[in-house]
Amino acid sequence: MARLLLLLPTRTYRTEAFVDAARKLGVDLVCASERPSTLEELSPDSLLTLDFNDPDSATKTVAEWARRRPLDAVVGVDDLTATAAAAIAERLGLRANPVAAVAAARNKYEMRQCLAAAGVPVPRFRRIALSEDPFTAARGVGFPCVLKPLALSASRGVIRANTVDQFIAAFRRIAAILRRDDVTVSGDAAAFLLAEQYIPGLEVALEGLLEAGALRTLALFDKPDPLEGPFFEETIYVTPSRLPDSVQHRISAVAADACAALGLTEGPVHAELRVNDDGPWVIEVAARSIGGLCSRALRFGTGMSLEELILRHALGWPIDSLVRERRPAGVMMIPIPRAGRLGAVHGHERASGVEGIEEVAITAHIGQELVPLPEGWQYLGFIFARADTPDGVEKALREAHAHLRFEIT
Amino acid sequence: MSTENQEQSPDLKTRVQELIDTMINPAVAGHGGYVELIDVQDSRVYLQMGGGCQGCGAADITLKAGIERLLKEELPEIVEVLDTTDHASGSNPYYAAGKA
Repeated sequence: MARLLLLLPTRTYRTEAFVDAARKLGVDLVCASERPSTLEELSPDSLLTLDFNDPDSATKTVAEWARRRPLDAVVGVDDLTATAAAAIAERLGLRANPVAAVAAARNKYEMRQCLAAAGVPVPRFRRIALSEDPFTAARGVGFPCVLKPLALSASRGVIRANTVDQFIAAFRRIAAILRRDDVTVSGDAAAFLLAEQYIPGLEVALEGLLEAGALRTLALFDKPDPLEGPFFEETIYVTPSRLPDSVQHRISAVAADACAALGLTEGPVHAELRVNDDGPWVIEVAARSIGGLCSRALRFGTGMSLEELILRHALGWPIDSLVRERRPAGVMMIPIPRAGRLGAVHGHERASGVEGIEEVAITAHIGQELVPLPEGWQYLGFIFARADTPDGVEKALREAHAHLRFEIT
Repeated sequence: MSTENQEQSPDLKTRVQELIDTMINPAVAGHGGYVELIDVQDSRVYLQMGGGCQGCGAADITLKAGIERLLKEELPEIVEVLDTTDHASGSNPYYAAGKA
């Protein structure tokens, strides 16, 4: 039986989908988290604790562990685990991206440098030390601009600034976010931020799979809500894209160029691009699959999940089809409207009853402290829809969301 | 009702309960959690998770890489362990999911 190591942070949304895919494949599943499982001592053959922020240490631990229990694949499920997974796989001679490529994709400054050097369209950018005087730093950038941490995800800490005053406020706010207890960045990621040109235009998300350096686009999502700041909250994703085929092909080509520039060669890719009259611009390329529960919007071939596809690729197993189902699909990440504690959720039944809605998953629990962007990183939940047209998917998602009411005190 | 669908012999259910009581619950209690055996049908074990396990971001890890593994090692006739918990109703999960 093939043995698979999944790197699963304790707070990731991705656990259920990946564990379920592993179960369907019938592999011997080993789970590693950054904190010990309560059952680890009883089940040392299937539970491990690894420091995902220290890939060298994680690699040593797994290499020793795997001497008696050889592994066939290692998969990190998100940004936090991608570099450690690549390092472990490289050490064990398993299919993976080069560690340097994944590390570059994890650091927005390194990523911008790689892409710009290769001629991939990216916003003008500048790395700024948090020790700098923000007023002085603001004089070196053009407006409007976007300030962001080097290594956080889910739009956390991403703030648009149109003026020097807004720049200074954003600068200080990001510095405070990086000092929060729930932020685990270190090194340059804790000492710098990135300021970059604001790129107007539509935003899309590309989900892809790299095989021996070739990028296959699995799905291209429109993001129909305007993402113009001051914060960049993810909400609705709809696939297939309604952009002209020629534009979609150009987006895929630019994303492939970005992967090549970074040196990514294997496994899932999640890229975010802006599109305007000058063509596609790469905003992010991550060596991971789509976040949250969003992958539930995707099915391939005769119903394969994105996670099964990723695990099959990592194991070197055949994949019947990389073609997404024909039916348009979408997801809405339910944003947190304000800070407070979640007291109650109303309208779930009515939202679920909207035509085209397949699921309304409320992931925040009653009593949970809610932190909106830019400090926060969670969602209230996710709404999933399928319909005959992308417009129908978007309409269903908006209608369902309108039925939901959250008591936050 | 076919033989396949008949309720499992009390022996297996009893042995599963013993393992939950002696091995699993003392361990998950460390995170304020507990596991309750709902039933054993056709060699499939149906559980509910409570306390810190209910709604926990790591509940699937605990179930599949921990509980199922342990039960199968001790009782190889078990085919699968299934979670019937309403995790959405968990009000005090040990790890709240949140990272994208």
